[in-house]
Amino acid sequence: MAFGRRSPGSSRHPPALTIVTALLLASLYFAAAAAALSPTDAMHNNNWAVLVCTSRFWFNYRHMANTLSLYRTVKRLGIPDERIILMLADDMACNPRNSYPAQVFNNENHQLNLYGDNVEVDYRGYEVTVENFLRVLTGRHESAVPRSKRLLSDEGSHILLYMTGHGGDEFLKFQDSEELQSHDLADAVKQMKEKHRFKELLIMVDTCQAATLFSQLQSPGVLAIGSSMKGENSYSHHLDSDVGVSVVDRFTYYTLAFFEKLNMYSNASLNSLFTSYNPSMLLSTAYYRMDLYERPLNEVPVTNFFGSVMKTLHTDSAYTGFLAAHDNETPMSTGDNLDDHFMLKGRAIARRSTIEKEAQLTPHGWTEVLAEQLEGKNTDTVVMYGLGAMGILLALSTWLSM
Amino acid sequence: MAPPRPPTGPILFLPLVFLFLFTTAAASAAAPEDEKFTEELLLRPLPDRKALAHFHFRSSAPPAASVGRHHHLFPKAISQLVKKYHISELELSFTQGRWNYEQWGGFDPMSTNNAKPPGVELWAVFDLPLSEIDATWKNLTHTLSGLFCASINFLESSTAFSAPRWGFKLNEGNLRYGALPREAVCTENLTPWLKLLPCRDKAGIASLLYRPSIYKGYYHSQKLKLRSSQSLGIILDQTLTVVLQPNNVHGEQLHSNHGQLQPNWSMRHLFNRKLSGKCLVSKSSRVFIEVDKGIADEVNISGSVHSWSNEFFVLSNSPDKLIKGQNHLEMQSSFLYVYDASNYSEEQPLDLGITWKLPLIWTCTPSPFHASRFLMGSGNERGSIALSFMSTNLHKKISGSANDCSIKAVIFQVVPWYVKVYYHSLEIFIDGSRKTVSEVVDKIHVIPSEDKLLPGTLEMLLRFPCSMQSGTLTLDFDKGFLHIDEYPPDANQGFDIPSALVSFPEFSSARSYPEIDPVLGSPLLENFQEDSVVKSYTEVLLVPLTTPDFSMPYNVITFTCTVLALYFGSLLNALRRRIGEEERELKKRATRHGLISRLLAKLRGQKVDPSESGSSFESTGSKKLLFKVVFVAVAAVLFHYFSNNS
Amino acid sequence: MAIRYWPMAGAAVGFRLVLVLFGGDLHLASRPEVSTPLTSLRRLAEGYWLKQASVSPYSGSMYHGSPLLLSVLGPLTSSRPDGHHAHIYCSLIFVAVDFLAAMLIRATGHELEMARNRSLKSLDLTKAVKDTVNVSAGDVASLIYLWNPWAIVTCVGSCTSPIENLMVVIMIYGSCSRLAPLAAFGYVMATHLSLYPAILIVPVILLLGYGLDAPPPKVFVIKGSIARKSDVSDNDKTSRQRVVQQFSWKPVLHFIFWLFIWSCHVLLLSSVILKKVGGLHEMFEKTYGFILTVKDLSPNIGVLWYFFAEVFDFFRNFFLMVFNMNIIFMVLPLAIRLKHRPCFLAFVYTAIVAILKSYPSAGDSALYLGLLGLFVNELAEMQFTFFLFFGYIGVSLLSPVMHNLWIWRGTGNANFYFATGLAYTCLQTVLLVESVSSMIKHDRKLRLLVTS
Repeated sequence: MAFGRRSPGSSRHPPALTIVTALLLASLYFAAAAAALSPTDAMHNNNWAVLVCTSRFWFNYRHMANTLSLYRTVKRLGIPDERIILMLADDMACNPRNSYPAQVFNNENHQLNLYGDNVEVDYRGYEVTVENFLRVLTGRHESAVPRSKRLLSDEGSHILLYMTGHGGDEFLKFQDSEELQSHDLADAVKQMKEKHRFKELLIMVDTCQAATLFSQLQSPGVLAIGSSMKGENSYSHHLDSDVGVSVVDRFTYYTLAFFEKLNMYSNASLNSLFTSYNPSMLLSTAYYRMDLYERPLNEVPVTNFFGSVMKTLHTDSAYTGFLAAHDNETPMSTGDNLDDHFMLKGRAIARRSTIEKEAQLTPHGWTEVLAEQLEGKNTDTVVMYGLGAMGILLALSTWLSM
Repeated sequence: MAPPRPPTGPILFLPLVFLFLFTTAAASAAAPEDEKFTEELLLRPLPDRKALAHFHFRSSAPPAASVGRHHHLFPKAISQLVKKYHISELELSFTQGRWNYEQWGGFDPMSTNNAKPPGVELWAVFDLPLSEIDATWKNLTHTLSGLFCASINFLESSTAFSAPRWGFKLNEGNLRYGALPREAVCTENLTPWLKLLPCRDKAGIASLLYRPSIYKGYYHSQKLKLRSSQSLGIILDQTLTVVLQPNNVHGEQLHSNHGQLQPNWSMRHLFNRKLSGKCLVSKSSRVFIEVDKGIADEVNISGSVHSWSNEFFVLSNSPDKLIKGQNHLEMQSSFLYVYDASNYSEEQPLDLGITWKLPLIWTCTPSPFHASRFLMGSGNERGSIALSFMSTNLHKKISGSANDCSIKAVIFQVVPWYVKVYYHSLEIFIDGSRKTVSEVVDKIHVIPSEDKLLPGTLEMLLRFPCSMQSGTLTLDFDKGFLHIDEYPPDANQGFDIPSALVSFPEFSSARSYPEIDPVLGSPLLENFQEDSVVKSYTEVLLVPLTTPDFSMPYNVITFTCTVLALYFGSLLNALRRRIGEEERELKKRATRHGLISRLLAKLRGQKVDPSESGSSFESTGSKKLLFKVVFVAVAAVLFHYFSNNS
Repeated sequence: MAIRYWPMAGAAVGFRLVLVLFGGDLHLASRPEVSTPLTSLRRLAEGYWLKQASVSPYSGSMYHGSPLLLSVLGPLTSSRPDGHHAHIYCSLIFVAVDFLAAMLIRATGHELEMARNRSLKSLDLTKAVKDTVNVSAGDVASLIYLWNPWAIVTCVGSCTSPIENLMVVIMIYGSCSRLAPLAAFGYVMATHLSLYPAILIVPVILLLGYGLDAPPPKVFVIKGSIARKSDVSDNDKTSRQRVVQQFSWKPVLHFIFWLFIWSCHVLLLSSVILKKVGGLHEMFEKTYGFILTVKDLSPNIGVLWYFFAEVFDFFRNFFLMVFNMNIIFMVLPLAIRLKHRPCFLAFVYTAIVAILKSYPSAGDSALYLGLLGLFVNELAEMQFTFFLFFGYIGVSLLSPVMHNLWIWRGTGNANFYFATGLAYTCLQTVLLVESVSSMIKHDRKLRLLVTS
């Protein structure tokens, strides 16, 4: 992917005779180099957010409110809707149990309608599955999946991955029916890294025992924040008696409290976010995994992940700054079960066409002869004669062989 | 278009005048060449103290001359969709709640065109060869799901859509129909729909769409209808139909309407907003208040003139126009008060409302039969679907009491494959007595369901006698059993059978407006004038299916394999066993046992019996045993060592 | 004890008739124990309806049976007299079919008994080996088949299993009495109807080639050598030599010829029926394909439905192969060990098929239990009979209860019902293994008797 772009620059120097081998070697070298150095050599030039609420059912209202709060925050801080993949496992806003239709609140003062007028949900309801989640991360979709449902990030992307739901030791439940395991997450992140799908990735998880979900991560450039350590629960913040359920979780609540003070231009660092979590308020210990991340946290502004604020480079020549951006424009469209799917479709089509053309079916050769001979006779009578003949033949032959 | 030229000479002047007139005429005839946008809103009081609001937006693009066309009003996403998938007709509706055919009417254009089944319904007619349609449909569903933030892509699987031939809409096999009864409908679906409008919801009639008040309603249906052809270009109709409960200021009882005034309402009550002017790019922007035939008759009887202020009700603003509507049965059916939104502005907003003076009770015209569908039977093995028709005695009003006539009804029903319908078990009861199928069914077309591949499609043309008061159709079915991966996360909630569609081809719900000025050009009224068949959707059915134990796959696999291994192993053992050899072995062991006892006896210092062979056998045996013990011990030590190391 | 055969048989038929005519609708037709997707008469009626509507009877996943049954039974399903349950005419046919099958089993039993007496006589063991039952094995087997509650339930419960069973019985009878055309007819029809009887080709050929069940040839050889030692009488020797028969090719070739004829006939008739709707290819795909790929996951008394409902999709094909091969794996070892008793071999194969087939039903068990009756004398020393008897009773009482709890009341769980299926498979396995090993023991006993 990367070397196609870089090798021409390097292959200017070698002599003409060995140009082919050199080109090959150089491209190989640069491919390796690009893989190894990509966190540093690609410039941060875009921001993405994947916000996932994995819980179904009304009593998990707070998980949707968590996710929507984050959605609102990152939108406020400048990530546009087309760069946010929002996955909501159930419909709370227009749920019949919701006494405030088309509104979702994360605070009992009902000051802020999170659902607003302009919310774009990319995956919702039954679509929120582990499979779809991993497909979004790794970019392996069926070809028909529209762009709005894909994470079209590249090696200059900072991605915020926020997940909330019910979790346990090294897993996160999706819709009460399947689990995302820490290995799955680590594998997906590793694959993303190898496909140059991100420069830096911040994973933020608000579940019980959230820290365990990160234990298998290995890829460089990944920063992880979890709401609780192993063996700890993450609790909800408060109950809204009008809505009838808890409306927000503690970790997310205090995260939002931190961000409410910020705007797009503020320079608060990730470190200040991390230190803002007070275990006595959270009733759990927030966990940070920083060993895979290279930059010092007090130098990284939170808007690097939660907003879309980038460094501006003044270059002499135009367009070089954009070089890194146009890489993964056409995403890989190799779904695992794509072939199956087409096969199924093919069969369905075949099925349908046989039904449509049942009258013109070509009869078998020898049947045709028979049919011609017995033209005009009902097939049922033919069959009856046939069965009768069968009986007579059976009786005769048995009698003869006795 | 035709710039007036300075007359070059008196002789040339006359032809030039003609030329000029001709070109202007041509220009006005070619006026539809422009992209147009109109917005309209119709408000109507309903008999059960509710109010209906029907928004209608039409954008049209002229036939595209070239491929890469620039649109200035028409949404580009839609025109790309039409071009890419060769759609000649498409309708997508998002609905929440169920249209109440008894109270809100079943015979008017509103119910036949805008009453939709709950959830998402999508159908499209393609202008493509038959073999390409299924693949195109699949891509279309994905595109629409991206466009409208809904799970429409679930319709891509061949188990979810069907290809009706005549029961839904007459076609040549190029129509596909799919419905998702359980799809949630909410703000995220409305927002992209509004983004197709040139003014979005920032100005004009669409600005009335305040989400919380819309989604509070009893019924809410958002529809997008596309028609495209070489001659017409693309016409995009976007409608939103809501039934709202007017906020009752005095806190009166909501549900009884006996001897009580209807609730007064205004736009501000219904939508929390007032109308402040039109969307500037719209060609026309109108608000209608429709007064039903029931009210109109009462007003007529009382002899008052059809002014906006009569003894029954007063409208808050004086209308710009009054239109009388007719349907094809009666002479006169309803009144429309027309307001032009362009007369109002931010400073002087329109807050159109109705204030009732006298209690009034009326009913809407129902469809010939009230159709409803329900499930029979208990348990999770089998059941039956029943479709019942209750006569509303409409034909008596129309054609007197002719009892030898008959009424046609078309049923279209799609059943998911896990509801395995036995079509031969179709039974028809008319007024309680059983009829043979051939007596009632004129025409039937069945595509039986194929496991995990195709849904079952039933299209039936029935002929009921006019005298029928109630008719019932029943179909037996078996419930299927699914693989554990095929159950949704909330499997115990049950599975939905999409609504059936019942239409009455002999009845048309078209309205006509004889006084209407053709220049008025109201797409909403044009739609009402279109000849459309009276139809109604039935309820969605919820079928509970049995679930296997979702947590057991490993146990089941191991148990089953154990049992099969048991069978295989024990049978093979029984065959392999040589009883003769075993007996010989037994004998040998017995002799050996004898040797041991003799040896023991020797050890105890009893009579020594010299038998060398026996002892040597013994010693080799003990050597073997010793070797075995040592081997196991070494293996254990090694294993322990290595496992500690690693 | 003396059993009067005809009154008992008549009573069994009468009992069936009473159930059919006056039993009302017992709702047996949809019981999972009775009817499977392959044998259900309701599905047959649906297929017939589709065919009448000039759609392929196999379109839709309803009908998976033979097209011949469709034209024979189809017209009967569409007419429905008042006051009786839907498929009364078919049920009457099934009563007749069951009676016929019982008669053929009885005739087979007589043949077997004569052969047994002949061979025992030639071994001079008539006195040493006493019959445990005083009546003929054929009568016992036939009465077991007639009075077996499962056979009765299958017969009354409108499913096509009785016809499949009849075809298997015709095949066995035909080959026992060395009527090659009849055997071929039974074989072709049974295979056509339910595929699995195809493995019965081995016992049929053995029966036609070697003749009926006899003690192992070794016994005769030993007997011959002993006889030679003790008294030398040429007359005796030749007669004994005749008992140990050589493989005779003539009836086998005859059988193969008729096999070909009947197959062609059946295929021809099927293709005539399906001429306008579908075709033979679709027939094979929807019948044999449906059997082999276990597409329908509705519960039955076996274990495979739940297995394939739970197994991970990517292992499905592997396990399909394993389970289908499992039936074939045992064919050869059994044939080698029991080649001198082909009729017993046929019983063993039938039992294996009933255990391992993809959609088992009580009708399959009824068939092999009936055939088991043919060997009452040989299997007199079978072990665990008490356990097996009450095991079968226990399972057949518990299984409907668990099914009811799970499906109808919603208070049980699929695992309970599956557990009865597991227990049932285990019981059948025990029965099978015990019968095989006691038959082997019986042969050994004969040898010991001859040598001693």
